Formats: sequence, C-alpha cells, structure tokens
Amino acid sequence: MRKFTFILMALLMGAIAQAQSDYTKSLDGIQWVKIESKTDIVVKTHSSNQLLIKSGPEVQTPERAKGLKLVGEGGTDNTNVGFSVVQDGSTLIIHNLRKNKGGEIYLPASKNVSVKSTWNGDIEIDGFSGEIEADAQLNGGVKLLNVNGPVTASSLNGEIEVQFGKVTQSSPISLYSTNGAVDVSLPSNTPANLALSTLNGNVYTDFDIKADEKDGMKSVLGRNIKASINGGGVKIAMKSTNGNMYLRKK
Amino acid sequence: METLSDELIMQKVSEGNLDLLKVLFDRHHKHVYNFLYKMSGDHMLAEDLTQDVFYKLIKYRNSYNNGSFLSWMFTIARNSLNTHFTRNHKSHDDIEVLAYKVVEEENDVNENNDHLQYALSQLDPEDRELVILNRFKEIKYDELAEIFGSTPGAVKTRVCRILKKLKNIYLESI
Amino acid sequence: MEKQHVFDEIPDYLDGNLNDAAKTAFEKHVENCNDCQSELEEMKAFLNVLDEDVAPPSNRLKANFEAALEQEKQHQGKVVQLESKSSSNWTGNVLKIAASIALLVASFQMGSLFQQRKADADIAQLQDETNQMKQTAMLSLMENQSASKRIQGVNYIEEFEQPDEAIIQALANRLLKDENDNVRMTAFDALSKFTSSETVKNTFIDALGNEKNPSIQVALIQALVQIQEKKAAEPMKKLLEKEDTQPFIKEQIKAVLPTLT
Repeated sequence: MRKFTFILMALLMGAIAQAQSDYTKSLDGIQWVKIESKTDIVVKTHSSNQLLIKSGPEVQTPERAKGLKLVGEGGTDNTNVGFSVVQDGSTLIIHNLRKNKGGEIYLPASKNVSVKSTWNGDIEIDGFSGEIEADAQLNGGVKLLNVNGPVTASSLNGEIEVQFGKVTQSSPISLYSTNGAVDVSLPSNTPANLALSTLNGNVYTDFDIKADEKDGMKSVLGRNIKASINGGGVKIAMKSTNGNMYLRKK
Repeated sequence: METLSDELIMQKVSEGNLDLLKVLFDRHHKHVYNFLYKMSGDHMLAEDLTQDVFYKLIKYRNSYNNGSFLSWMFTIARNSLNTHFTRNHKSHDDIEVLAYKVVEEENDVNENNDHLQYALSQLDPEDRELVILNRFKEIKYDELAEIFGSTPGAVKTRVCRILKKLKNIYLESI
Repeated sequence: MEKQHVFDEIPDYLDGNLNDAAKTAFEKHVENCNDCQSELEEMKAFLNVLDEDVAPPSNRLKANFEAALEQEKQHQGKVVQLESKSSSNWTGNVLKIAASIALLVASFQMGSLFQQRKADADIAQLQDETNQMKQTAMLSLMENQSASKRIQGVNYIEEFEQPDEAIIQALANRLLKDENDNVRMTAFDALSKFTSSETVKNTFIDALGNEKNPSIQVALIQALVQIQEKKAAEPMKKLLEKEDTQPFIKEQIKAVLPTLT
C-alpha cells in the first residue's frame, strides 16, 4: 500500500518535478563519495562520470524562508535540491539536509561509495562494482543489489540484504547486524571462505556447509560456522547478534 | 614488459608469475635451439633438448638465484646435453665422436653446414660449447666466465684461439 | 718495423667490440701486416658461416612448451587452494597487499611508467621479505582509507602465530578508534584469540567503556567474562545505568555480573 501511494505521489508530482532542475557535478579526481542522510537514500548507477542528484518532487519551502537557504547538520544547501555537497581532497561528501524526504543519487558504477543513514532511513544501493560501505546506524535497513565489488555493511535494527552479481576476490566482505537479519544471495559457484556467526539467531543456507564448531564455543558464543565453498576464496564474514542469517544460492 | 631485464622477469617467474616465462621463451628459445643444434648437428635432438631446457626452467624456477639469466639458462642447456649423451650412449663413447656420427647421419643439411659441423666436431666438447656460446651476441665474456668457471680475460684468449683453430679446420675441409 | 700481430683482436674487431682507440690501432696494424690482413679476411668469411642461422625450430616446440606451462599453472593452482583451506594463503594474499600498496604508491605519485616500474620493484621486494614485511604490509593496510582493505589488514593476523606488541597495539587502535563498525568488530575477533595479553585485556575494558555498537558490546562482555576479568565489572555497571543501552545488553550484563564480583 505504501508503495502504491508512493508511485501515485511520484506520478502526480512528476510534472512539477520537471520544473525544478536536477543537480549535477563532475567527479574528476574523486575516488570516494560519502553520503549521509537521516532519511531513505537510494544510490543508482548511470554512465556519465558525474554526480546526479534527482531533485524529486518540489520541496515546499515555507513562505517565510523565501530567499533563504536551508541549513542542516551537515552544512548548507549549495545544490538547490536540499543537499550539501563538499569536496575534501579526493572525497566528495554529500549530506541530505532534509529530515523528511529521501533522495535519489546517481553515480558511475565504478565509484567507491560510503553511505550512512543516521536515523530511520533505509539505504538502497544498486549496481556498483566499486567498493561499498553502508552503515544504517539506527532503524534503517541496508539493501545492496547487483553488487560486484567489496562490501562492508552494518546495521543496528534493520535488516541487511545483499544480492551479489559476482563476488570480487580482491578484498574481504563483511556484513554485520545487531538486531536485524542478514540475507545474502551469492552465485552458486562463488569461491569463498565463509565465517557466519550469530548469538541468538539461526543460520539457514542451501550451500553445502558443514559446521565445524569449535569445542565448547557453541554454548558460550552462539553459533560460529567456518566453511570453504568451491575450494575457498575471498573471506566473507556475516554476523547477526540477534537476527537470523540467510545465505542463498542465486 | 619488453624493456624488463631477463633477470627481473625470471625473478617474478620464480615468485609464481608463470605466464612471464612465455616472454623468456620467446626471447631465447632460438638461441638455445641454435646452441643445441650446433652442438649436436641434429634438428630433432636439438628441439627435444630445447624443450627439456624450458621444462627445467619451469620446474626449477625456485632455484634461480638472481644471477645472470643467460648463464643460468645455458648452464641448464649444457647439462641437458651432457645428460643426454651420457644416458643414451655407452659411457666410454666420447661426446666428440658421437656428435660426429650424428652429423654424418644428417642428409639434408647444406654443404656449408656440413663442413661447419665437421669442423665443430673436431673440437674438444668444451671448446665447442665455448665458441658456440660466444657467437651469441648477448652473451658477454664475464657470463661465459661464469658458466665455465673461469675469468673473462682467460675466456677471451681461449675463444680467440678456438676460433682460429676452428676456422683452419673448416677452411681445410672445403 | 715488426709489431705484435693482432690475431687475438680479430673476432672482437669483427664483432665491433673494440673501443675507438683499439680500433684505430688495429686498423693501422692490419694495413701494414699481410699476415693479419689475410687472417682477418679468412675469419670474416668463416664467422659469416658460423653465424649463419640454422633452420628455425618447428612450432611443435612452442606448443609443447605452452602446454607444459599450463599444466604447471594448474598444478600450482591446486597447491594454493589446498593451502588456503587451512588458513588464508600468504603468497596469494601478499600479492594483494603488495598490489594495494603499489596502488597507493601509484595514486600518490600519479602512475607514470617510472612509477609503474617502481611499483613492480616494490612487489618483487615485498615478496622476498619475511615477517618484517608481512607486518609492515599488515600495518599499512590497516591505515587504508577503504574499510574492506582495513578488514583485510586485520585478517592477516592469521599469519602470525605470536604477533608482537606492535601488531597487537595496531589492532587495539582499530578496535578503539576505527569509525567503521565492521572494522572494529573484525579487530575484536582478531584480538579475542590473544586474551592472555595484558594489552588485549586492557583494550577490551577500555573498548567496553566507549563502544556504541551493541554487537561489539555483547562480544566484549562475553570475552571478558570468559577470562574472568574482574576489572570489567566497572564499565558493565556503567552500561547498566545508561539509558540508551539496548535491553538485551542489560539482560546479558545482569546475568554475568555476579560471576565477576
């Protein structure tokens, strides 16, 4: 239902949105893009070497704020779409200044992205081959789709869902949640060394994994499973303290 | 890659980058083959032994000691040749004689080569190796000295003496 | 005027190995010496024959060589995999470290050809070295901007049976100061194997006082209870008093606190 409302809203506002221009910025010399938001944030890929922030539906600027700029925790709106964008060396730092509206950001697939949600926002990142760091610090979840690069993701209460296109062997993958589930889909032929652990949750998988639990560890530290699949490879660590773990073949 | 020295490449091979051996093979297999052919006068044998040399480079890559690559490779080539002769023939047969026999069995070599092989077969085996190796421009006197356990000066004098002797045998035979 | 013959110089002269002075002297002598002149001519003709290329080897040679190389590579691959089952395989990993260091070097200096070759040399050098280099590589990875690379650095602890104080200290810094939760968690996992070290115990107690991530909090609590570290009681009590401490952490502390006091 929520989704339906959203689509309806999007359709209705579509025409208005056209009026407001999107924000773009060249990414020459930028290696990392760091994004911080209190609300939902969606990061997608496009083919140009630019940052593109969709303005989305028009922001209702209060009558009194006419001619003034939005100032938030992360800085001042210097993009006219409710975001602050600041370059620090080879890093581009983006803050979503609005507290009640999400954002849609487009970057080239090869960029390294680090996204932090500090309140209720869900993080969705789709299609990247560079490195991904995602941190949902409070209630948000993390959804990473078509991942082809190294990943580190953590969440407190939300769930972490990761669907890999292919798993890069160059750098380890680390997915930790405190209270949420960790749900990972891998191509079935992925070579990897898995380390799965949970304190109060359960582990479910259709990979052929034999749990060689260390003596006595089970009762003290919950379930710790270490296993190699397809001959072993990059290290993939998954941990949820209180949530379940799902590891699926794709 | 073209600009990297043999030594640097071989070092990387010994560290596990086996694909780089292809570069060394492309650079040197003709030299090794030439050497072995001139030593034995036998195309098939030279080819088999060249193959053997490169198999050994693969197999013993970890024992490469970062010294001159050419010296190392030709030392392996000489050993392969010696092993071949001692293994395949009665030990009292002299390498010199055997090589000569092989030459006589070759029918399709041109006349120049025929005489040259004859002249080469008249030399001491070690003299023959020395002079053939010397004719590869890449090999310096100090590398020859390393292979033969001698000094560059002594090697130079010896090469000149052998060349002169070989030339005279050759000219007398035609 | 009778001069020394220059027979010994003839091959070098023909090969162009003489320096200018020697060359001039040689030519001057040959001009007036019939013996040397004819020797020179003969040698020249003979070397042409000697240097004549023999028929090239057949393609079979190259094909066989490449087949043998492929076989060896597969064999090599198998060995690597077997090793990597027991623990992570250093040879493979060091390449990755080296590559990332090389990348760092290159990105600092903007990779010109010269830098590329320098980086190559660095790789070669890195592989020759032993523990000292492993340690350096590990420590430098842990300072990388990328969280995944820092985790990789932390994971290299598996290569050290008895890590020295510098490594323990570096891991402790990760646990106490790294901004990324996953890196801190991995650093905790690494250190939890060395709880007999005083540095590790003290680090865990400090970390329990600072740590905000409940997963790491609960892991710290369990590790400290397991080694019966009495000094852990203080930070645990503080966590109990804090409002934002997760309920399940409080439960956990209530359950274990009596065993420490």
